Amino acid sequence: MGARRGTTRARGVRAAAAALAALGLLATGCGGGSGSGDGKVTIRYSWWGAKDRAELIQKTVEMFEKEHPNIKVKTDFSEYTDFWSKFNTQAAGGNAPDVFQNSYAFLRKYGDKNLLLDLNGQAKAGNLSLKGFRDGLEKAGDIDGKLLGVPVGANTFALFYNPDAYRKAGVTVEAGWTWDDFFAAAEKVRKSDDTLYGASDNANVMYLYDLYLRQNGKAFFTKDGKLGFTEDDLTKWWGRWQQHAKADELVPGKKSEQAKPKASISADLSASEFTWDNFLVRFAAETKTSLDLGPIPTTDGKRTGQYLSSLMLSGSARTQHPKEVAQFIDFMTHDPEVGKVMGYNRGIPATTSQYDAYEPQGVDAKIAAYEKSVSAQLEPITPHPAGADVAEAAFLRIYTQVALGQTSMGKAVDQFFNEADSALGS
Amino acid sequence: MTPTTTRATHGTRPPTGKSRATAAPGTRPAPAAGRRQGRRENLAGYLFLTPWCIGILLLTLGPMLVSLYLAFTDYNLFDSPRWIGFKNFQDLFQDDRWWTSVQVTLKYVLIGTPLKLAAALAVALLLVKPRKGQGFYRSAFYAPSLIGASVSVGIVWRAIFNDDAVVDKSMSLFGWDVGGWIGDPDWALPTLITLTVWQFGAPMVIFLAGLKQVPGELYEAAEMDGAGRWRRFRSITLPMISPVLFFNLLLELIHSFQVFTSAVVIAGSGTNTGGPGDSLLVYGWYLYEQGFRNLRMGYAAAMAWMLMLGIGLVTAVLFKTQRGWVHYEEDAR
Amino acid sequence: MGALRGGCPVSASVGQRGARSVIWHVGALAVLAVILYPVVWVIGGSFKPGDQIIGSLQLLPTDPITDNYRRLSDGIADVPISTFFTNSLLLAGGSVIGVLFSCSLAAYAFARIRFAGRDALFTLMISTLLLPFQVLIIPQYILFQKLDLINTYVPLLLGKYLAADAFFVFLMVQFMRGLPRELDEAARLDGCGHPRIYWNIVLPLCRPALITSAIFTFIWSWNDFIGPLLYLNEPDKYTVSLGLKLFIDQDSVADYGGMVAMSLVALLPVLLFFLAFQRHLVEGAATSGLKG
Repeated sequence: MGARRGTTRARGVRAAAAALAALGLLATGCGGGSGSGDGKVTIRYSWWGAKDRAELIQKTVEMFEKEHPNIKVKTDFSEYTDFWSKFNTQAAGGNAPDVFQNSYAFLRKYGDKNLLLDLNGQAKAGNLSLKGFRDGLEKAGDIDGKLLGVPVGANTFALFYNPDAYRKAGVTVEAGWTWDDFFAAAEKVRKSDDTLYGASDNANVMYLYDLYLRQNGKAFFTKDGKLGFTEDDLTKWWGRWQQHAKADELVPGKKSEQAKPKASISADLSASEFTWDNFLVRFAAETKTSLDLGPIPTTDGKRTGQYLSSLMLSGSARTQHPKEVAQFIDFMTHDPEVGKVMGYNRGIPATTSQYDAYEPQGVDAKIAAYEKSVSAQLEPITPHPAGADVAEAAFLRIYTQVALGQTSMGKAVDQFFNEADSALGS
Repeated sequence: MTPTTTRATHGTRPPTGKSRATAAPGTRPAPAAGRRQGRRENLAGYLFLTPWCIGILLLTLGPMLVSLYLAFTDYNLFDSPRWIGFKNFQDLFQDDRWWTSVQVTLKYVLIGTPLKLAAALAVALLLVKPRKGQGFYRSAFYAPSLIGASVSVGIVWRAIFNDDAVVDKSMSLFGWDVGGWIGDPDWALPTLITLTVWQFGAPMVIFLAGLKQVPGELYEAAEMDGAGRWRRFRSITLPMISPVLFFNLLLELIHSFQVFTSAVVIAGSGTNTGGPGDSLLVYGWYLYEQGFRNLRMGYAAAMAWMLMLGIGLVTAVLFKTQRGWVHYEEDAR
Repeated sequence: MGALRGGCPVSASVGQRGARSVIWHVGALAVLAVILYPVVWVIGGSFKPGDQIIGSLQLLPTDPITDNYRRLSDGIADVPISTFFTNSLLLAGGSVIGVLFSCSLAAYAFARIRFAGRDALFTLMISTLLLPFQVLIIPQYILFQKLDLINTYVPLLLGKYLAADAFFVFLMVQFMRGLPRELDEAARLDGCGHPRIYWNIVLPLCRPALITSAIFTFIWSWNDFIGPLLYLNEPDKYTVSLGLKLFIDQDSVADYGGMVAMSLVALLPVLLFFLAFQRHLVEGAATSGLKG
């Protein structure tokens, strides 16, 4: 018996020691060195996307390596959700990739935790040019004076619609139309074609509500990272969509949930839907219906509230090769040949040199024409505080519960404010 | 194949029903064998266990204890964890979505596990006798489990439960008109359970292996005594495979409580992965979402340890009831 | 074949037996038709164009195409598909060897040796099954990173050689406990120590359990996704399960056709492995009596 207790205790001590050691690692993390003796530097580049993007990126990386024979770039990629799981795990271990694809929405989330490289120093040192960006995009990665990302491509929100269905219903879409016009159009479409709903129920899309708020002088998030609207505002917005949903003009929650992973519009359930303009590429492959891009409805007949959001490249704060990272980002954002290869795969190229190098065809041409048509409307982007992604997910989920008839409007609005406030840390 | 009449030399008898079982596989106390004998057994035991000991110390125990510590901290993955005592646990009980995940998971476990085990045992009994095309049948019944929970499975599941697709059409014959099952908060969970039951291959193979160890002589003897099919199943098959049944029950329960991938596959990845109206918000997914998307790893760790306590309780109860219905060969003398 | 009778009736006339056999086959095939419907759907889907797969109401393609399969030969990002298969085979094969070796050792100790502290250690082993893997990811990652083993297969294999899969240890324990005690008592009287009892008596008798473990290890390691995702950083080290997720992304034109086709091709090795090994599931039990 004594022997037995002894071994157990010894085991306990050893286990505790192992645990302590691991704990020590948690706090410190560690930076993996990746330099090699022969003067050649290796940097790791991670991004999300599927194999179509991989083929393009592979080509551009080879071009970069040819131009910079002393730098080797190791790439790895995964699907969006997996990408962030992997990134978080690696970053927790202090082993984030040297350079990686990022989104405007995450700059503060990771910037606040000191994971992102401030590229200002490299820009000053001449390793990274901030010239030649379209529509002020060089400012997009500027967060409180730090340059945490450089845009490679930009996109803006748009109305997707089925021109045939609209024509059949006798609806015309024109710049400056209002939300009343939009909902009236949805009703007409529904009445003219009983196989099609007038619109997808997009009341749960944070980016769309943001546009509506901006049209009214507000925004989803304030500059100091709080919610920029009241419970009353939200009740009105959601209530308006609910009114049309109940009139059977919008795609019911059950049907849009069932249609996933397709969007309601590409599943041919609805005649219109709001999302990022570059999604046209995806939708065009998912449905035979030809879709057009139209203007965002307005409140006052003028302002759409639109802005450019962007896909970015960021460096890791712990990289041992900030200079090479900057050179890589510079090449990927400015080189015209890269622009030619990538096309609109990551949105419309952010620099004029790449924008001019690529002649858009087919669907890409539609997107280009759309962005040109709204470029006069573009305003500065709404800041995304840390926790914005959590708030976005809550916004989506909680309205969906309303649409599915699981909760009342009052409860839903309360719940959203609770969850968002705690995610935003107020 | 060789004749195998020599099996009988084992002298196995049907279990008498009197059995003794402890938490660990017990053996009857040996008659005072002497201290040296005991020491030699200890040495042998630890020698055989060396790889396992290294493994648990290096790979499992350390991370487990770390996660226990994290359960009492505020940890966002990147800054050092900050001790906050029991706050995570208090927050859990205030968290509506946590309660939702508990409910969804309990429903999933309580309905799915018995159905899956019943299907596995039924098919194993069907396949145990050698027949023409045995390899084909076994592989065919196992095929669903080979696929695992891949994206393809998610796509096919969404397709066959679609509005007007095969399941919906057959069900509306019985007056059950659901529409699209996975889009409906009331019917999404049953589709997940169906997926689980459909992949009954693993427990089936384990049942098969267990059934193979039942000596045929037992059945012959019972048949001579005039026992019918059901009697033979009840008094020979069930007791003889009870260790395997126990294993399957325990492991399926544990795995069901931790269900993750198949729920994600059905709900579809993306921003909103709790399924329509959180109807597929299984515990494992909510934990993952908190830890890896909302960067609340301390909270996730607290969730994990609550789950561990829950499963631990169920496991302990099962081990306790073992005495009543699980028969080990060594005890049957 | 006599001893393999299982629960079947001994006495039945030839005619009766024939009729029963037909009924059995008809019944089994009917059940199979239901169970395999989704599999057939996937096979049908692999011959459909990509935009006709999601939510499709049709089991079979109206206008079958082989494009999806042909596209696989292009590989993914300059990595040929065969590389993913080689990597997965290497990992799955390596895992099988590791699990059979380490888990059977541990199981023998738990099932057949009476040593001090056994109950406590057994409880500890079972308890490792209970904690969800999600919270172990970060500490384990940091550990392997400290050991400089990221982007190698070691983190994916080490656990298999150190019996970290309590599932298999427990499975083998349950089977070993079912073996008659008389066997090792007799061997012990003949002067055999534990290593010989383990190797010459218990292992051969446990063949069904070993084969079962081998099958599961192979399939599960083949299908494992999270481990390779976190630990492998170069596409030419990726496994099939990772490769399968490279067809779809939220801001890509998803190649559903290619993915469905690849998921079927990915199924072949595991199916073959299962076919080959399930035969031994029978032979193991049938011949074990002789060896004992």
